[in-house]
Amino acid sequence: MEPLQIPPVNLILLAPLLTVVGWASALLLVDVFLIPEGKKKLTGYLAIAGLLVAGLVGLPLWNVSGSTFSGMLVLDRYSLSLTWIFVIVGALSIAMALDYLPRHGIEQGEFYPLIMFAVAGMILLAQGTDLIVLFLGIEALSITLYILTGFAYPRLTSEEAAMKYLVLGAFAAGFFVYGIALVYGATGTTSLAGIAEFLGRQTLVAEDQTLLLAGAGMVLIAFSFKTALVPFHMWTPDVYEGSPTPVAAFMSVGTKGAALAALLRVLAFAFEGVQAYWLPVLAALAAITMVVGNLGALGQTNVKRMLAYSSIGHAGYILLGIMVASERGAEAFLFYLLAYALTNLGAFGVVIALEQQGESVWSIEDFAGLYQRRPMLAVAMALFMFSLAGVPPTAGFMAKFFIFTAAYEGGLGWLALVGVITSAIAAYFYLRVVVKMFMQEPAREVQPELNRGLNADIIIAGVATLLIGLVPTPFIFLAQQSLVALGG
Amino acid sequence: MTLVIQLIFGLVAALIIGAAMMVVLVRNVIHAALWLIACFFGVGALYLLLQAEFLAVVQVLIYVGAISILILFAIMLTRQVTGEGVRQLVGGWRLWLTVAISALLFAVVIVPTVASQQWNVPPPLGPEGAPEPLAGPAELGRGFVSEFLLQFEVAGVLLTVALIGAIVVAYEERARRRRVLTLAEEHELRKRAAASDQPAGD
Repeated sequence: MEPLQIPPVNLILLAPLLTVVGWASALLLVDVFLIPEGKKKLTGYLAIAGLLVAGLVGLPLWNVSGSTFSGMLVLDRYSLSLTWIFVIVGALSIAMALDYLPRHGIEQGEFYPLIMFAVAGMILLAQGTDLIVLFLGIEALSITLYILTGFAYPRLTSEEAAMKYLVLGAFAAGFFVYGIALVYGATGTTSLAGIAEFLGRQTLVAEDQTLLLAGAGMVLIAFSFKTALVPFHMWTPDVYEGSPTPVAAFMSVGTKGAALAALLRVLAFAFEGVQAYWLPVLAALAAITMVVGNLGALGQTNVKRMLAYSSIGHAGYILLGIMVASERGAEAFLFYLLAYALTNLGAFGVVIALEQQGESVWSIEDFAGLYQRRPMLAVAMALFMFSLAGVPPTAGFMAKFFIFTAAYEGGLGWLALVGVITSAIAAYFYLRVVVKMFMQEPAREVQPELNRGLNADIIIAGVATLLIGLVPTPFIFLAQQSLVALGG
Repeated sequence: MTLVIQLIFGLVAALIIGAAMMVVLVRNVIHAALWLIACFFGVGALYLLLQAEFLAVVQVLIYVGAISILILFAIMLTRQVTGEGVRQLVGGWRLWLTVAISALLFAVVIVPTVASQQWNVPPPLGPEGAPEPLAGPAELGRGFVSEFLLQFEVAGVLLTVALIGAIVVAYEERARRRRVLTLAEEHELRKRAAASDQPAGD
């Protein structure tokens, strides 16, 4: 019997990923054995520290690129930039949760390591270059989120949300695996490079490749489920409403961002040769996602549901950047993701501040007259709403500007037009919140709860939203630099 | 020989499809679970026909042995055991409309795939030009520590996370209920109760 050959593994290339996973595993033990009951906030701080360390570990890797584990994982600037975005998202979500959990009586130390595991899944999605690795990344992320969604266990809505998310997520996973199987059947490989090579080798006649196309379609459906593209979005409002608010915030930017990042790699890299087939499908998806997401938000009086529909709409905008799949599109995608992540986390932070103990209504009426009671909070929320609506000089405006420009240059002018029109529609429901805050009398007594973690979250998000909007150049430069070796 | 194999294949396929149909058609959930076991057995037989003995054994061990038992346990531990009196969500012509739409959508995917894919693809060749060996336990094990090392390890992390999740969910539930005593504690309690009863009885 021949001896086993373990392939050379370059662990440096996955240093951030290893840091997050290792830290989370250690934190689980530390949490159980060293941190006394009632001081679980310490676990949260340690988790934030771990995520920041993982981000720092990534810094020296900026000029490194390469693939390891038999080409299953790749490290390039694209994945590194995404890693940083995900680390920020994770840290801010934990900061939001620090006081939210005890206030709602659902504090358990496991919450924080679980967020870290979810971030690890996201990083895996950014780095994976093999369909099976991507599947595992999506599952690692989803399984953690099923748990986190149901974390507010005594609240029935939380349980319901977790159940809905689990059932639909399981469907999506089934589609994904089925799709991978069909793609493997057609091409004999699951690696993105292998698929690209297969497609490059032969001139594709659609009639001969129905297996491949069906597989690619199934994979696309799975991604659409995870990123909540219309018509696979039904679960989103219910799940966001039911899950603990910090988790909803994390999901609205984290899952979406990671899955879209992986989708970009899959489409631009593996299925580039069949662009003629997926482009119309994705264009239609993006168009109805933008329209349905923004129209759905119009009628909502529940702020959490409104933000859920708004996140559906934003997924449509982000999709524009992915479709262009050129360097310009990927840049716009990264920039949009960063801007949207910070803005949305900030908006959810304000929602958490206004969330009253033991209540599960997030009525827009609670925002009425906020300016008189907490002027700074109202100004911050107004900033986030303006940014989500895409009003200058906020980050949202620059991001939308880039994405629409990229779409227009990529020959998708009509989609950019749909985007502009739906953004105009969206302004109505974002600005409605602002009007309520500044021009109306409070309908009932709401005591905003602010604390250190939440304050930090809102301030960081607010400053970043303004900064990206006012001085976008360094961030654009960063996004451009990130794409030097996309695909690798 | 091929005729025999095709006959066996036809029988096994009929078993799988029939059992799968019964899973969704029977009203009683336990019966559905039992039909599911039959379906799993059929798939195992299919693997045997494909000369993937190891997969066949694994199929029987994991799906028939573990997963079906889990399903049966889950059904038994939930309150509405049989589901006999459950109202159907859609009935009458709407049911048939639903069936027709589902069948149509499925056909849209499956018919062109089956009809136009070139199926007589030769099996992939190994490095020596010989047909690649079918996956036995040795090849699978080798794959896990060489080409698919990463997947193997990530799956480990995934399972850990799932376990933690199970504990988080279960622990929460237990905290809400009355604490369950261990046998030793119960014994101790009973002894103490007996001791305190004694003087009262005197």
